[in-house]
Order: sequence, then C-alpha cells, then structure tokens
Amino acid sequence: MPNTASLTICDVTLRDGSHAYNHKITADQIYAYAKASEESGFDYLEVGHGNGLGASSLQVGESLLSDYEMLRYAKNVLKNTKLSVHVIPGFATLQKDIEPAIKLGVDLFRIGCHCTEADISQKHISFIRSAGKEAWGVLMMSHMASAEVLLEECKKMQSYGAQGVVLMDSAGAYTPSETSKKISVLVENLEIPVGFHAHNNLGLSIANSLSAIETGARILDGTAKGFGAGAGNAPIEIIAALVKKLNYPTNINLYKALDAAELAANLFSGSLPKSDSITIVSGISGVFSGFSKPVVRIAEKYKIDPRDILTELGLKNAVGGQEDLIVEVASVLALKSK
Amino acid sequence: MNLAQKLVEGDVTAVITKQNVKLDALRGKHIFISGGTGFLGTWLLEIIKELNSTYDFKIRVTVFSRKAKDFARKHTQFDNLDYITYINGDIRYLSELPLDTEYIIHAASVSDRRLAASTPNAVADTIGLGTMQILRASNLLENLNKFILLSSCLIYGKQTWDLDSIDEEYTGSISCDQVGNVYAESKRFSEILAQSYLNEYKLPLVILRPFAFIGPHLSLQLPWAGTDFIRDSLLGGPIRIMGDGSTIRSFMYASDYAFWVLAALANGASRKKYNVGNPESIKLIDFAELIVSQFTPKRAILTNIGQKNQSKSKLVPNVDNAINDLRVSVTVPLTEAIERTIYWHKESLK
Amino acid sequence: MNKLPIAILGTGNIGTDLLIKILRSKYLECRLFSGRNLSSAGMVKANSLNIPISSDGIDAILNFKSDLALVFDATSAESHIHNAPLFAKKGIIAVDLTPAKIGEMCVPAVNLNDCLALKNVNMITCGGQASIPLACAITQSNPNSVQYLETVSSIASRSAGPATRINLDEYISTTELGINKFTGCAKTKAILVLNPAIPYVHMQTTVMASISNPDIERTRARVHEMVAEIKKYIPGYELVLQPTMENGRLITSVRVKGLGDYLPKYAGNLDIINCAAIAFAESIANRY
Repeated sequence: MPNTASLTICDVTLRDGSHAYNHKITADQIYAYAKASEESGFDYLEVGHGNGLGASSLQVGESLLSDYEMLRYAKNVLKNTKLSVHVIPGFATLQKDIEPAIKLGVDLFRIGCHCTEADISQKHISFIRSAGKEAWGVLMMSHMASAEVLLEECKKMQSYGAQGVVLMDSAGAYTPSETSKKISVLVENLEIPVGFHAHNNLGLSIANSLSAIETGARILDGTAKGFGAGAGNAPIEIIAALVKKLNYPTNINLYKALDAAELAANLFSGSLPKSDSITIVSGISGVFSGFSKPVVRIAEKYKIDPRDILTELGLKNAVGGQEDLIVEVASVLALKSK
Repeated sequence: MNLAQKLVEGDVTAVITKQNVKLDALRGKHIFISGGTGFLGTWLLEIIKELNSTYDFKIRVTVFSRKAKDFARKHTQFDNLDYITYINGDIRYLSELPLDTEYIIHAASVSDRRLAASTPNAVADTIGLGTMQILRASNLLENLNKFILLSSCLIYGKQTWDLDSIDEEYTGSISCDQVGNVYAESKRFSEILAQSYLNEYKLPLVILRPFAFIGPHLSLQLPWAGTDFIRDSLLGGPIRIMGDGSTIRSFMYASDYAFWVLAALANGASRKKYNVGNPESIKLIDFAELIVSQFTPKRAILTNIGQKNQSKSKLVPNVDNAINDLRVSVTVPLTEAIERTIYWHKESLK
Repeated sequence: MNKLPIAILGTGNIGTDLLIKILRSKYLECRLFSGRNLSSAGMVKANSLNIPISSDGIDAILNFKSDLALVFDATSAESHIHNAPLFAKKGIIAVDLTPAKIGEMCVPAVNLNDCLALKNVNMITCGGQASIPLACAITQSNPNSVQYLETVSSIASRSAGPATRINLDEYISTTELGINKFTGCAKTKAILVLNPAIPYVHMQTTVMASISNPDIERTRARVHEMVAEIKKYIPGYELVLQPTMENGRLITSVRVKGLGDYLPKYAGNLDIINCAAIAFAESIANRY
C-alpha cells in the first residue's frame, strides 16, 4: 500500500548532539552541518544546548557558545529548512530566553516538559503563538506514563495552541509495541500531528521510529549518525533511506542526507554515541539519556560502578533536569561501599 | 448469636474462600469509608471483620456517616472492635480526612428513590458537593493508594432492548430536564469531578458502577423490585408487577458485591472503571417466581396491574473488565441469593 | 508572657497550615482567621479549633476590635498589592507569603535582624528560602572569588499548585534576584524541576558555584553552621551533600521535608515558606 501521508522530518543533530559533545559544539561545526542539513531537505533543524534555551548551567553543563550565538550561526545558513529550538519551562523564561529567540528569527519552538506536567507549558505555548510563531508540545521521558495519561497531557498542549506534539523516548526505553500502542492512542484522539523522538539505548531507535510512522505518526526526529545523548538517536540518514523505501512523501534528498551524515561523522569524530554497558543500563533503568556522561565522570571520581548510579537514579524516578542527584547518589553509594 | 447474623458470617467466610482473590495490598492499611453505614458499608465491615480476625489483616477502618454512632449502637456484631472508628458527619461539610488514610471508598450517597422524589436538591447536593469535598480533602493525603468512587449504573441512561448487556463504554441518553434524573445526573457529575482530579492531580482513582443487588442488610423499605417482591411475600403477598414481567434485570448477592468493591480497592488500576453486578439477566416475572416459590403457601403474582403502556426495560451489566482485571466472579447463584436473603429477613423479624 | 496577637488572611492550604503551626507557637496567638468563604475547608478547620473566623477578608482585619500586631497575608500577589498600604496605614506588620514582592526579602537565617524594624517583609520563594543561606555561606567562605551561583530545586509535582505552575518564570526571576541581592554575586541562575514520582519526592535544593580558588574546608564548616541555624526554624531541612568539588564546580544539596501539619509532608517547598514566616513573626514577638 503506498503511503500518502507526508512526513515532517526534524534534524535535531545540533541540539541532542550537544549532550554527546559536552555542550561544546563550535561555530564552525554549526555552519558546516547546518548547510548540509539544509541541502538534505530536512524540514527543521534544531539547534542549541541539549536541554534547550536557557539551559546552559552548572546543573546540566555549560555551553561553549551562547544560545544567541548558536542560533544566529544556524539562521545565517538556513533558507528552506526552518530553525527550531527546544524549550523547557523551569529552565527557559519568556523574557530572558524566548523573546530574544523570536527576534532572532527562530521558526519553531518545541516546548518540552516531563511527560506528566503539560500544564507548565501553557504560558510558553500561548506566548509563542501570540507572537505568530510555530509552537509544538514535547513530552519528555514519555516511557514513564501510560498511553491514557500521555493523551490527556497532549490534549492540554493541543488546547494551549500547540500545532504538533512529540513523544520523546528520552531514556531509550521504548519497544516497538509500546511505541505503536502509545502513538496509536494519540493519533486516534488528537487533531494535531504526532511525532516521535527515539533514543537508541536498547538498539531500537529505528525500529521504534518505524513503528511510530506505521501507526500514523507524522513527525520524526533524528540525528546524523545518531549524534545525541546516551546511545544516541535514530540515525537520520537511515530514517531518510527507510522513508524513501516505504514511499512516504518527504522533502529529503537521500544522497545529500547520506553526505550530511558522513560530514557529521567527521565533524564530531570521537564523540559519536555508541552502545555500551552504561547506555544499556540507562535504557533498562529508564534514566534520562543526558545523564550518561556526567554519571561516568562522577562514578570515576567516587570510584564506584556507574551502573549502580544509574540503577539507583532509576529507582528514584529521576527526571530530566535532576542531574544534581547524580553527585548525591554517588556520594551515598560511595559511603555504603566503604 | 442469632441465626440471621450467623448466615451473614457464613456468607462472609464463603465469599472470601470462593473468590480466592488476593487482598493483601490492604494488610495493615487504613480505609476510610464514607457512607459506611449503608447496605454496602455494613457488608464491607462484615468482610473486614473476618479478614482481621481470621486472616490477621490488621486493617483499620474509619466509618464516616450521618448515622455512624447510631449504627455502632445498633450493630452489636461490631462491638469492641477497636480497629473501627466511627465519625458522625455530613459528607457535604467534610473538611478533612484522617492524615494516615491510605484507601478511600466513597459510598456516601442518597440512593433512596423516595428521597430523590421529595428532595431532589438534597440528592444533587449530597452526591455533587459531597464528592467535591472528599476529592479535595483526599488531595491533601500523602499516602493515598486508592480512591474508589461508587457511581451508579444509572449514569448509562437507557439500555437499548437489542443489547444483551452494557459495558463501561456504553452511553445511552439521559435528559437533563427531568427531575427524576437528578440521581443519575448527580452521579454523572461526580464521575466528571473524579475525571478532573485524575487529570489535574493524578489522584489514584477507580470508578465502580454498581447495578442491582439483594441480600441481608438491604432495607426492605426501599421501593426497588428485589426488595418490593421480598417484602410483599414476607407480608403474605401478592407480588405486583406493573407490566407483563418481561422487563429484564440482574441481581447480585450482597457478599459478592462487597467483595468486588474490596477487590477493586486492593487491585483495581487507577483510571479504570468497572461495572459491578451479576452479568446473568433475568425477566422480572421469573425473578418473582423464584421468590414466591420460597414461601408456603406460594404467594400470588399479579401482572399488568399498571396502565397498558408499560414499556419493558433492560438493565444488565457486562462485567468482563472486572472479571478479567480483578479476577472476581459471581460466587452466589441467584436462587441461593434469594433463599439466603429471605431466610435472613425471616430470622431478623423474629 | 503575652503572646503576639496576629491574624491570618487567606484560608487556603497555606493559611490553614500556618494556623496549625501558630497554635503550637509559644509566642504567637491567632486572633483572627479571615477569608472569603465560611464553608471552605480551612474555615471549617479553624472553626473546629475555636479560632475566630470571618468571611470579610481584609475588612475583618482592618475593623478588628482589639490590637493586631502582625498579619500573614496568604492570599495572592494581586490581593497583597491592594492590602499592603492598608496594613501599613493601620500599623500592622505584614508578612507577605504571596509573590507580590513589595517588602524586603526575608531569609531568617541570613537577615532576620535587618528585618525586625520593617513593616512589610516577603518570603521570596521556596527555592529562595532553601538556597539563599547556602549561597551566602559559600560567598562568605570565599570572599571576592565566587563568579557565578546557581540553584536547582526539584519538588513533588503534587505540591505545585496551578499558580506555581503557571508562574514558573516568576519563580525563576524572583529566586535569581534573591540570590543576587543576598550574596552580591552578579551572575545567578535558578532552575525548577517538577517530579511526579510516587511515593512523592521531598523537595531537594542544590546550590552550585563557580569559584576561583575555592576554600572547600572553610565552605564546609560555614555551610554546616548555616544548616544548623536553619534547622532551628525548619526542622525538616537536612544537608544531604556537603560542599564538594566536582568537575570544576562546587556543589552542595539539602532536602526539605515538611512537618505535615495541614499540608502533606512531601510539600516541603510550602512548609519552608511557612516556617520562615513564623520564624520572623516569633522574633517580632520576642522584641515586644
């Protein structure tokens, strides 16, 4: 059966990849990759700190470049591909972060929150829509809530004016059947398009992405060579090939997308995500992928097994943004192991 | 101990054994029962008494009702049970719950049709405002594991004749300009309130929609088919049926009802809603026959004594969800339920 | 000793929790519990405790027959802006629990004495009350060398009501301003995270700092002193990670458990503000 529904592809390499690069992506890398992404025909390019606007901090890592610099470099290159940013209320504020980004010409604001807390996005979504910009809702760590709860939260975002909603598997904990179960409930009950953002901790990023679009999702996130937090995301070059094979209408130029991936491999060589015991335990513990690097670093300092930290964080139901727990958990584990 | 109470205790022993459902989540827990002195409340206490005395459950119960203290005086079977606390109060003015409450069964309601006829406002108030108050108070509890809202089968509106039974997704029609629907509409309101708390505060809530029941402790004063028929037979008959008796209902025995509620309390998943009742349907005429055959001399049944245009109706639950999720069953068949109910009433009257 | 006569305006969960705490106080006496709705849960509770209640809101306070020295305003920012000049005119000290930010910011462990002569103090934010003393301890121990201060609080979702949720930005800017004011550090950042886990998480607040040549031993000693000081009025305040250098940053964390008076124990974020407000009021009482 030919697939007629068009897909929107979001390239989040220069945002999720920030986690994999200790938030030290340079101006040259942004210039070079944004150009390649534009040529690949991706609909949106997301740029910025891994935790979005206003997130550069001691808590989740300081960016080499300011939000403003990163966005301006990307904006200068992009023509057809729209510029998008990730925004987490609690980190980013309207005045300090969103207003300047609107002025700078950001096209799409993806307002993310922990998957059960959609109401904290109300003010941000309303503000962006009033400013005439595009706003989507993003539910992070969505493995932690049932399909029914996710639907309720998405409906809130839809009511606030979100023009799309993306489920993030921030911990890389989904399976294809869970993906299709959750996505199908959303696509059957929402008016706005539904998207999926995969992580590869359990080696299922492409399988889950495929499951999502086969169930009716209209938006997919991916990153070049999977350059992203934890075990990385769904490699966008594979998404490009897959949707072509399946005849989904997109704006992608496959060869260019493949070239962009090679470019990313070059630009970020040595930092491309790979599956290892840390990312696997992170996936089964359901811990935010962005925790992986600090966990390894802190485990080394306290001379304990990083997997124990991840397991403990999973038991504590840590959510994204609670990176400070890592040091506390590690110090307690270190005391216990003495 | 009188024979009536002996029968109830036999029922309780039997239902716990036959249902064979683990209620261990409730061990050592504090259960708050609003409207705990009604038919359901009494049965819940009977079962909890057995769980505590025979199975060492160590459940604590707070019974909240307008008549809690009266109830305690009259029901000597619960004398000296220090794990039961009685609070006299009106659910409409409930301001707070015991801080250590872990489970709530919100059963306070006005289910007497006669009251609904005379004081529909009080029905709306008690069910609507009462539910609002207890939900708000529950939201301040830190150890709340489950909140059971006792709704009603009447929220579905009319069951169409072509359906054998109605499941939890069924919606019939109810008109909001008929004061007779105040009970059903109030229950609908209480359900949407519950949904709002689920949505906004993620309160661990389970909704139960009970159908029709018979059994000990159900007051024969209540003008329902089951109670009417039994009362009239006890008084020498005859049983009067307005129509031709083709109306279809189902009746569940009290011990099963109370057990299902406890099973939902222990094991029901938040956000779920379950029909509670006997899935086996019966025509009113056949139900009447089962009742009169318990009496000698056999009582008469008069049919078609109402106006000609008596429309037949049907109200039967599909309880697959409860059976599958809660692993409960109907352990007391209807004939036995009728037998035991009549025996209990005869003994109680002595 | 005579207790200080006080009133509580606003009978929601915050006001009612304050009332329960005041009933325990040796120095404060609640003469009036005033709001708008006599049948609200807080009113019913207060009435059952034999506290005089009124549904006339601020008017009941302004027209109160005997002296009121101090009022806790637990209404809303909007109401407090309206109420503040009226309290001032009447000579009643106002302790502002709303985000109106009219009066001086008060963190008892840090600037209690500076506030005792003031007619209007505000209690900043939960994260502010938890983090500012730590931030001060850090700057005091590392004079002129703290370049940047940051605080992250995570709280139980259930403890964040609709007003908090819609005003995250306000929380952030007020907390940042508070840290800046109390420490003099120009660059500050506040982050708030809601965690929906069940059982509910306790409030946890972490303060992080960029410091050139940190004196870690001195910082530790000062933080321990500060925590002991705070524990006197916030019993559930506990150091869970002493100041530690990690990846070039100094990091220290506290956990705040609520007292569970009227609000649940997991609402340490609400408890801390009420405890601070009462610490201030009791000091006023002790001056009389």
